[in-house]
Amino acid sequence: MAESVMQELYEQEEDTQKGRFLTFALGSESYGIEIKHVTEIIGIQPITEVPELPEYIKGIINLRGKIIPVMDVRLRFKKPFREYNDRTCVIVIDIKEVSIGLIIDSVSEVLSIPETEIVVPPEVGKGNNKYIKGIGKTGNDVKLLLDCEKLLTEDEVDSLNNIQ
Amino acid sequence: MSELYANEPMMDMYIFETTQNIEQLETCILDTEKAGYYSQNVVNEIFRIMHTIKGSSAMMLFNNISMLAHTVEDLFYFLREHKPEQIDYSTLSDLVLEVVDFIKGELDKITQGDKVNRDSTILSSKIKDYLEELKQQNAITELIEKPVIEKQSHYYIAQDKTENKINLHMYKAIIFFDDGCEMENIRAYTITHHLRDMADEIYYLPQDIIENDESIHLIREEGFQLYVKINKTYNEMFEFLKQTIFLKDLELIELDNDEEFKQFYKPIKKIILDTPPVMIPKINNQNYQEGKEQTITSSNQSIISVNVAKLDKLMDLVGEMVIAEAMVTQNPDLKGLTIVNFHKAARQLHKITTELQDMVMAIRMVPLSTTFHKMHRIVRDMSKKLGKEVKLELIGEETEVDKNIIEHISDPLMHLVRNAIDHGLEATKDRVTLEKPKIGKVTLEARNAGSDVLILVKDDGKGLNKQKILDRARENDLLIKTENEMTDKEIYNLILLPGFSTKEAVSEYSGRGVGMDVVTNNIEAVGGSVSIDSEEGIGTTITLKIPLTLAIIDGMNISVGKSRYTIPTTTIKESFRPKENDLIKDPDGNEMIMVRGQCFPILRLHELYKVKTEVTDFTQGILIMVEQDEKTLCIFADMLLGQQQVVVKTLPSYIKSTRKIQGLAGCTLLGDGNISLILDIGGLVNLNG
Amino acid sequence: MPKVLVVDDAAFMRLALKTILERNGFQIVGEAENGAVALKMYQEYKPDLVTMDITMPVLDGIQSLKAIRQYDPKAKVIIVSAMGQEGMIKEAIASGAKSFIIKPFKEGHVIETLTKIATA
Repeated sequence: MAESVMQELYEQEEDTQKGRFLTFALGSESYGIEIKHVTEIIGIQPITEVPELPEYIKGIINLRGKIIPVMDVRLRFKKPFREYNDRTCVIVIDIKEVSIGLIIDSVSEVLSIPETEIVVPPEVGKGNNKYIKGIGKTGNDVKLLLDCEKLLTEDEVDSLNNIQ
Repeated sequence: MSELYANEPMMDMYIFETTQNIEQLETCILDTEKAGYYSQNVVNEIFRIMHTIKGSSAMMLFNNISMLAHTVEDLFYFLREHKPEQIDYSTLSDLVLEVVDFIKGELDKITQGDKVNRDSTILSSKIKDYLEELKQQNAITELIEKPVIEKQSHYYIAQDKTENKINLHMYKAIIFFDDGCEMENIRAYTITHHLRDMADEIYYLPQDIIENDESIHLIREEGFQLYVKINKTYNEMFEFLKQTIFLKDLELIELDNDEEFKQFYKPIKKIILDTPPVMIPKINNQNYQEGKEQTITSSNQSIISVNVAKLDKLMDLVGEMVIAEAMVTQNPDLKGLTIVNFHKAARQLHKITTELQDMVMAIRMVPLSTTFHKMHRIVRDMSKKLGKEVKLELIGEETEVDKNIIEHISDPLMHLVRNAIDHGLEATKDRVTLEKPKIGKVTLEARNAGSDVLILVKDDGKGLNKQKILDRARENDLLIKTENEMTDKEIYNLILLPGFSTKEAVSEYSGRGVGMDVVTNNIEAVGGSVSIDSEEGIGTTITLKIPLTLAIIDGMNISVGKSRYTIPTTTIKESFRPKENDLIKDPDGNEMIMVRGQCFPILRLHELYKVKTEVTDFTQGILIMVEQDEKTLCIFADMLLGQQQVVVKTLPSYIKSTRKIQGLAGCTLLGDGNISLILDIGGLVNLNG
Repeated sequence: MPKVLVVDDAAFMRLALKTILERNGFQIVGEAENGAVALKMYQEYKPDLVTMDITMPVLDGIQSLKAIRQYDPKAKVIIVSAMGQEGMIKEAIASGAKSFIIKPFKEGHVIETLTKIATA
């Protein structure tokens, strides 16, 4: 699965990446992530735990000699932890020269979502909405489009509270 | 030259060579200042350096640097040519050093990839003013550059050819040069010079191409007019002139009579010109020998400069190769196979990778001398400003340290040397009263000590005042022990704490709002440590202990549950399985172990890092006794996995920015592809108080 | 492919010339950092052309030019100079230099100069 999606990714030219999203599942919800951030998709790897980190940073992995941190997106969104299985994937993204792996339940497909089909998420005080920068409509489905930068930078205060 | 501008090797070379030149220039000035006057050699040398910098900077389009270098070049040209006697050397040195600082600053920006745009006109005009002053003081009006060639050279009549007038052709040529080729007058001169061997008579307009550089404009507007009597056919003549470099337009007319030549005949004065004797310089033996010593640079160049980033990359690759090698040779698939030849080959591979690793390490090692020599400048500036006479002594400057580390210790050293002069040394008059040598001494010493390098900054000044330090520490609430419990060393080390500064007034040099804690931070950042020794009235010594290299360490791998940790071997004193009755627990629940009559605290790694493990009973696991900063600690782990060289990698920046994890120095990849966390023993022993 | 000996005390300038010349079909047979080395290299490599900086230690460009011309009167030496060195260039031309290029040089100028001298 992962391979075929990746294959599809490689075939995309840089300029045609716009408006294209890699979609993945977390439980029953479907999320999308801009393809330009994604560098690769791998199966779940042995994770080295690093002490004193917030729960959702599971540790570090060895990606062909490069050591990168991995984040469990479920835990990041304060959803219950689910045991990793052979459908679990790590999406490696590159943002502002920071590489990080996102652990998700499973990857789905690469989709084009035209800008006209994307709406701004409603303002709902707290919650995971702050990581969502848009809601994309595809047929009968909706995809929650992630704001990767916020995923990495926001919520430092919470993360400190988590470990205490 | 824009097409070269973006060329990386050119940029590297520019930075490398200019930095070298600037450093050489600085040394030149500092040495000269001691002598009190600029020798002819020094003047030549500075002129040459500035000339080189001017040229290279202009090529790289760093016009502010180029312009500044040009001004200094002019100044030293004057010094070289006129040898003025009244020179204010002190001001001259200050000016040149200011230029040195300016260019250094710009070079830093270039290295960082920033824009080079600092205005150099103010500094340039300061230098120009100084030059004007020099000229006036030494009563020299600017001489018009003397033409090097004979003055009347605007026509030639070759002596031996005058007889043979029969075959002579007469030509008039008008030559235009390409726009922007510059120095058209000299290009014109080049033509006449090359014609001289063939032609009988040569006349040209403008006539004063040699004497008057203004003739350039005339040549640009009206062309260079040439009248020649020569034994050549029209075609030969045309072909000859066609060879002219940057020829834009050529008009060649064969004249029937010498009517047009007459304008040149007025003062009929046949000047018989010998070709000026070509001076062949006597190359004395010394020069030749010098030439011999400098190995021929062509294809067999003996030294090249390499971008540090490439070295870092190489280091990484070798590190990965070491890991890959382990992954191959210790591959679980090989278990139980009898493969003699494989092991033979594996041993050979191992030997080569080890050698390769050593070589890469060796390449990265650079002597401390450059860093040490920078201190001459600090001492000079400080002693001038503070009016203290100071002598700087350097010992062991050839000691080598990893390139990356050198970058981290340069600033702390500078700070320490400033401190020593500003706060350490007494004022000159006080030293005389105290019957100490009038000239204060600061010693910078480096030496190897195992896998560390020790750098000592020593002064023979007044030493630290314990009482003052204690008072200050008390004021700032920095004391953790009672005063009489503290050793002298502990008291001195108080000044390394953040927020401590013994000097009330912040002076221009040492103060700057930063204290010794910045030095400590910098040194600790490279895994080093700082300690202080002092004796009142005798002086102070500050010792920096720095690891030789950061990139590869000898490590002992240990396991706790599923986790792997690596302890730098140099910190390990011993490891052992404890006996039940050696274990002690104090009323606060602190666990300790008695070894040969001494008591040491125990750190349970699984508790500290909350790792799940079966092994929680001391007698089931192993204790590793480690020591750093003269503190000892026993680390409790499940078991030892073995010793190996590991390549130190930093933790991903995302993790470092999320949280500073105590006791972790980084991570490394093990042979099986697993990641091990490298323990920072210094952090752990201090964690425990 | 004309063989060139590049003489300059500044490694940067040698690299600049080398870069320009090599990508325009010249072959650099040697690089010398002063006039004394240049003469030895000239004798060893017998280049078709020499580019010669004026300001150099040990043996400067003019002295070196004269030495090379004495060894080989047919030597084709091109002086590399800067604005403000007109006097030196004139002296160099009088001493047998074929032409000169001016720093900071432009690629086109360097190539035109060397090509013409090489084919002359």
